[in-house]
Amino acid sequence: MTAQSPADASGLAVRLPAPLVTLLRRRDSNVFFLLFVLVAAIVFFTIQSPYFFDDRNAFNIGRAVSITGIAAAFATLLMISGGLDLSIGAIMNASGLAAAVIMVDPENSIIVAFAVALGISTFIGFSNGIIVTKIGVNPIIATIGMQFVVRGMTLATRSGSALVRDRTFLEIGQGELVIGTLEIPVPVILMLTTMLLCYLVLRFTQFGKYIYAIGDNASACRRAGINVAGMRIALYTLSGLGAGFAGIVLAGLTGAGIPYAAGSELSVISAVILGGVSLSGGVGVIQGTLLGVLLVGVLKNGMTLLNINANWQMVVEGSVLMIAVSLDQLKQRI
Amino acid sequence: MEALPVVETKSLSRYFKGVVALNDVSVSISAGEVVGLVGDNGAGKSTLVKILSGDLEPSAGQVLIDGEEVHFRHPRDAKKRQIETIYQDLALCENLDIMENVFLGHESYRNPLLRLLDRRRMYRETSQLLEELAIRVPSTRELVMNLSGGQRQATALARVAKAGARLIILDEPTAALGVNETRNLLDLVMRFKAQGRTIIIISHEMRDVFEVTDRIIVLKRGELVADKLTFETDPDEIVRYIIRGRD
Repeated sequence: MTAQSPADASGLAVRLPAPLVTLLRRRDSNVFFLLFVLVAAIVFFTIQSPYFFDDRNAFNIGRAVSITGIAAAFATLLMISGGLDLSIGAIMNASGLAAAVIMVDPENSIIVAFAVALGISTFIGFSNGIIVTKIGVNPIIATIGMQFVVRGMTLATRSGSALVRDRTFLEIGQGELVIGTLEIPVPVILMLTTMLLCYLVLRFTQFGKYIYAIGDNASACRRAGINVAGMRIALYTLSGLGAGFAGIVLAGLTGAGIPYAAGSELSVISAVILGGVSLSGGVGVIQGTLLGVLLVGVLKNGMTLLNINANWQMVVEGSVLMIAVSLDQLKQRI
Repeated sequence: MEALPVVETKSLSRYFKGVVALNDVSVSISAGEVVGLVGDNGAGKSTLVKILSGDLEPSAGQVLIDGEEVHFRHPRDAKKRQIETIYQDLALCENLDIMENVFLGHESYRNPLLRLLDRRRMYRETSQLLEELAIRVPSTRELVMNLSGGQRQATALARVAKAGARLIILDEPTAALGVNETRNLLDLVMRFKAQGRTIIIISHEMRDVFEVTDRIIVLKRGELVADKLTFETDPDEIVRYIIRGRD
């Protein structure tokens, strides 16, 4: 090997400074990039609006993104392995409704509500895994199919919302943990805990290593004796479980299980991709997903404070995603 | 040399939808032998190798390991019998580093229950292993995507050595390598032989085959057409078998 500077191998006409190239070549370079953009957005909105930079508003943002964040943490694991789950939104509704319906009767225990809702979600995720790995259906098709099935069955079970009055259940979505002068919303804590757990799994465990390995070269993993099908089924099951948990927190937050809520799978998936996970698998880190989720939350909140209407907010959100993915493509050429 | 054969096939056949990929092939390979497996495209080399490594099941016939009949249904089954195959694509994960690839499927744990990886130990052992095999790489932390063809090949070989392979099957190992890299690879094969490992090499490169093998097996249209000790034959004769088959 010759001691060439990396920039010499670049196909770009423009020569980038060496430290920047080194930074861009790191596995997690987009985490730095997202952090930079997030800080820039925060600075911008702080200057533009007097209400933005405030712990109360920060927690509003946190609460708003927590549901997406919980589902996105598990979706990150699945997507790094090269999988995709488009039934997340439907599972969230099904799980939230199931928990709420059980809680309508004050006799029922919250543990039963949790167990049933998570049981249903886990079973749906497991079914996705079986259909994708054992039968070999393309994940997009399989999970879109599942989305319709689950949504249909949810609406068939109950067409209207189920209101929850149980205090403990509502605490999951609306409660706050008071530390000193800070009142941290419970959903934010749940999101951060979920993310931390997924981070530890990815970073330190064999399961995490295999997630990356399968995402890059599944047939190599099979030949290395790894149970690839089992890993995939486990990841779809976890995705279902994560969506189910997010659905319960959502029901706690809104105080109701809503069978007809709009599917949020695309928000989840776009946050994960914004965070640097590639649809073809093998790359990404959970820190990226956290930053992706936060960036979307900050942009929405900031734009709302600036009275930008919801339609234009969508335009901005979509554009940010496209710019991020385009920059990532350009990065490959360095 | 009449040692018990490490691997033996008896009348091995494999059909694909009416096409005969392998027909009645019987071979026997002893411990410490380096065997060249040659033949034209479609001769059945890959089919034979895939059966031995558990990637395909035979339609008829038997595979014996240490004299005992085996039925491999998955590559895992072959690995349990210490048979390791390095395919042309090398089966490396580009997004993982050298150590992570060397230990893929054979990780060491800090906590076996949680499967927490003992990375420090694995880096140390990888360095030792590469040193033993005289494989030079910039760092065991280098991602495979940044390695040259020879370094990748060496990583794949280090992996099978780590796995404790007794029979190593190499599919066209030198096809993508330059002169120096080929040299290093053949040296590595000889070091493996010196360690008592058995090796099957599939190759089109007669020079490489004649340099390292003890025996050469020729397949043509799925059939065994020659099984010769290397010092008793020459490249011309082998090429004749490859093209014309049995006389």
